[in-house]
Amino acid sequence: MGSGRWSTDVYQAGERYRAATGGSAFAYSDSGARTVHPRLDPRQARLRESRDSVEHPRSTAIAVLFDVTGSMGHVPRTLQTKLPDLFELLVRKGYATDPQLMFGAIGDATCDRVPLQVGQFESDNRMDDDLGRIVLEGGGGGQRTESYELAMYFMARHTDIDCFRRRGRRGYLFIIGDEMAYPEVSPAEVSRVIGDRLPGPIRTESIVAELQQSYDVYYILPAGTNYAGDRQILGYWRRLLGQNVIELDDLDAVCETIALTVGLGERAISLDQGLGDLDEVGSGAGFVVGRALSRVVRL
Amino acid sequence: MDARHTVVVDLGYGDAGKGTVVDWLCANEPVFAVVRFNGGAQAAHNVVASDGRHHTFSQFGSGSFRPGVRTHLSRFMVVDPVLLAMEERHLAALGVPTWERLTVDERALLATPWHRAANRLRETRRGGERHGSCGVGVGEVMAFSLAHPDAPRVGDVRDPARLRRVFQLVREELSTELGGLGYDVPVEDVATAYEDFGRTVSIVDGAYGAELLAAGPCVFEGAQGVLLDEWRGWHPYTTWSTTTFDNAMTLLDEAGEQARRLGVVRAYTTRHGPGPMVTEDAHLTAALPDAYNTDGRWQGGFRVGHFDAVAHRYAVEVCGGVDALAVTHLDVAARTPGLRMCPGYETGERIALGEFGDLAYQEKLTAQLFTAAPVLDGHPSADAIAAALDAPVFLESWGPTAEDKRVRG
Repeated sequence: MGSGRWSTDVYQAGERYRAATGGSAFAYSDSGARTVHPRLDPRQARLRESRDSVEHPRSTAIAVLFDVTGSMGHVPRTLQTKLPDLFELLVRKGYATDPQLMFGAIGDATCDRVPLQVGQFESDNRMDDDLGRIVLEGGGGGQRTESYELAMYFMARHTDIDCFRRRGRRGYLFIIGDEMAYPEVSPAEVSRVIGDRLPGPIRTESIVAELQQSYDVYYILPAGTNYAGDRQILGYWRRLLGQNVIELDDLDAVCETIALTVGLGERAISLDQGLGDLDEVGSGAGFVVGRALSRVVRL
Repeated sequence: MDARHTVVVDLGYGDAGKGTVVDWLCANEPVFAVVRFNGGAQAAHNVVASDGRHHTFSQFGSGSFRPGVRTHLSRFMVVDPVLLAMEERHLAALGVPTWERLTVDERALLATPWHRAANRLRETRRGGERHGSCGVGVGEVMAFSLAHPDAPRVGDVRDPARLRRVFQLVREELSTELGGLGYDVPVEDVATAYEDFGRTVSIVDGAYGAELLAAGPCVFEGAQGVLLDEWRGWHPYTTWSTTTFDNAMTLLDEAGEQARRLGVVRAYTTRHGPGPMVTEDAHLTAALPDAYNTDGRWQGGFRVGHFDAVAHRYAVEVCGGVDALAVTHLDVAARTPGLRMCPGYETGERIALGEFGDLAYQEKLTAQLFTAAPVLDGHPSADAIAAALDAPVFLESWGPTAEDKRVRG
């Protein structure tokens, strides 16, 4: 019955798919999808968890949410190509124990079809798959606001992370964007996008305060975006997040910036040590990262 | 015919040339995607590019040689990730972009190697009473899903625990039923390969269909042929699939879209495998071998006959009519003077429709057709076929490539 050949088919098929997975980043979006992928749908997510396990007994939750509208559309593509570098630093250099990464995307709930996409916390290359499923909205209205407050609401109320729950260590949330949040979390948008019923609007300052109980929240404003260096937008985020606002001259350095920020936050390195590590792993981002983080480092 | 989308359906027993018609549409009209809406990996749609590249399309849409044309496997498809990977390897070798242009509905049924093994085992045991199965297990998948509401579906590849559970179920049920499958790849290994499939292809939800149809004109590519339809064909020599326009129309209705219905016929009638074929002629079978349809190990012989206007007219009728026809192999008909039209059988010019779903009636038709005698008259041409089926011919095909096609004014 030729079962030998069939079983070979199964293994060859698996190999074929594995060979393809590395190369087909953003297959979902590039194939024309314009609705949120089921795996990234906040309505279906309910709770995103970062859990300790036998393999990863001391998990560190790290979430990266980026604006996918307008000029920010290339951010996830850059992230995807730099992902191996980020893991290299986090794991091999011991910046954080058992890092678990989650990716998400932020759009505009007032006009976009896909205002919020949230992946899972993953400790292996499955996070790569989540990146590949993000719909790159691309549009964006240029009204200087995106629904960051909606994303922060999701992170505050729909994630559960063991590093905080079991060990009292806050996780890390990086928001990469170039605009401001809306002043309030809208109950109608929360109902439509996430599925919760809210008795009334929540001020963005309040949801940030709630979020900061379990996460260190950073805002990264990269160069080459619409409002890079914009005083109003920088000022807005500094009022919300204090010194945790990072101006980055080169988007290509975003993974190194995240890695070093985590390393500094975990007190695993000093900034000089971190920059030395970047040189050692052959990253040319040291200068840019050093400049970006010099304002962030707690003295 | 100003409808935005097109549904392409074979009005015979399959093998009329849907693939080459779909390829032509994708080359000559602004087609956004090809949507598969029935059957599974048993489809074998041959397309020859003008530069000589040839591919037998099975799960990928037959428009894939055309730049930018995507493939969507709708929820009516039976998806076989193992055979999909084999097909992809060949397409990729021809320089055709594959994974990035493919979307799969999470609700589509999944074929597994156990279904395939059961299919082959069952067909072997039928001995001389074979149904003409292709041996890839599509019918097994359909049968299993009717008996088991939790049969594996594409979306399950994202849920490792559930995937293993349903695979175990398939394996155990089919093994028990058949007293072993002669196939023993571990569930875990198949699950792993299918999870890799899930990481590679874009699995989409039910909302995607409407988005796709809104994004641009689509061609719905049918598989098999109407005379093999599970409800309207010559039972039991049928395929376990709805081969009429119905599934495509359901998808179009859900999106509030419309389509022209294009019926494809060869200028002579062919059939792969057993079952009634009134106009079969052994001399024609010997004289008109098919380049791509040779005798299949599981399917049986490739048979050729005169143009069976009675059977094709019946196909048009069970489809609820067609807007136009595409007639293929006119070049072969032109150089084969012995080919005839069959406008009627000795018993009459029409096969009467039964009640939908009345398989006892279909079986009665089968018995009648086995003994029916054809009346042969005239030579098949595009005009003769248009008149016999009472539908305009939109496209004539005079050879294997898109360049060999002609639009009739």
